[in-house]
Amino acid sequence: MGIGPSTKETTLHHFHDPLVREVSNDPDVDFLGVILVGTPQDNYLKNLVGKRVSVWLDAMRANGAIISADGWGNSDVDFINTMAEIGDKGISIVGLKFIGAQAGFVVENEYTKFVEDINKSPAGIETEVVGENNLDSKDAHKALGLLKLKMRHDGQVVH
Amino acid sequence: MKKNTLNIKAFSMQSVKFGTEYHLTKNSLEIPDHALFDLDDRLKEMTIKLVDPRDCHFEINTIMDVMPISTKVLGELGYGLTHTLTGVNVILTGADETGVQLHEFGSSDGYLDQKIMFGRDGTPDLDDVVILIDVVLKENFEFNRDTCEMVFRTADKFLQPIREELKMLMGRDATDDIEYVDTQNPGQPKVAVVKEVAGQGAMYDNIIFPKEPAGIEKGISIIDMDNMPVLLTANEYRDGAIHALV
Repeated sequence: MGIGPSTKETTLHHFHDPLVREVSNDPDVDFLGVILVGTPQDNYLKNLVGKRVSVWLDAMRANGAIISADGWGNSDVDFINTMAEIGDKGISIVGLKFIGAQAGFVVENEYTKFVEDINKSPAGIETEVVGENNLDSKDAHKALGLLKLKMRHDGQVVH
Repeated sequence: MKKNTLNIKAFSMQSVKFGTEYHLTKNSLEIPDHALFDLDDRLKEMTIKLVDPRDCHFEINTIMDVMPISTKVLGELGYGLTHTLTGVNVILTGADETGVQLHEFGSSDGYLDQKIMFGRDGTPDLDDVVILIDVVLKENFEFNRDTCEMVFRTADKFLQPIREELKMLMGRDATDDIEYVDTQNPGQPKVAVVKEVAGQGAMYDNIIFPKEPAGIEKGISIIDMDNMPVLLTANEYRDGAIHALV
């Protein structure tokens, strides 16, 4: 498992990135920026990079964050670990990832229910069709809506 | 020049054709149908096709990337002036001469019209012309980061002369002129985006901060940064700060 053709984010996808487009243009939030983080192979590094993301967000006095991933499988460890590290700092966090019928979380925790599925294929699978299961504007919009509700529910205070 | 403002001027290509050399005007592009430079020793050939997405039922090797053609005119990545082409995008495909496909997990080789969904954020529009670059490696190649990066670099080198001409187009001839400002909304909840990207090896990598938007030159691999987090502004992101190598 890793990044299949239907979820891989091409250079053009990053150029047009719908998540950045939606969040940076919303007047109801103060957009801080994009933290780009890799997915290391080594478990120690997986935990370390997740922790560094949370420290950075905390230092920015972030109220909330949306995390997205273009792969699934072994990178789910990084994904959920980073969500937990961010959540532990008292920052509201929601996620976007391909789940469908074949990429559910092996282990669930309190954060997995805040992960939206970006699957678009009728069968819920990696179809090997480029672009088919990519995150789009609608997914980004939904995630931002969910984050707003979660920030309110978590009683986030703007500093 | 304001550091928080990115001005993107887009030139809509009405015609894309083959010619003996590179030639760009405000609405037409001519490119050679082969590389005008020596290919790396590991490569057998590189072929270029011009494709209409509405008529593309032919076999291709696995799709390695889809790329825009964009260039910095003034300022640096994330601010200043960028020229970009619309109506044309690039698809890079690759395999070796025996048919071994260049991918990490799952291949998209097959009929082009069945292997890509046009009109998404990461794929060309149905009305675009696609420059299809197919790179074929000699057999028994080593599937490693260096080989894959060389393939991406070769495609980038083929595109660079287009960028050089694109820098010279007159801004007033642009079909679209958009100004993006990195705005702040004080008093509203502070929100960030975290993007988890590939960083484990060959065809599972991303290059950040290339010199040209969505280019390769001078870029740094996220693997070489030990996958540590990096902060990008929205304008840096939309100015092509990332080149996917997945």
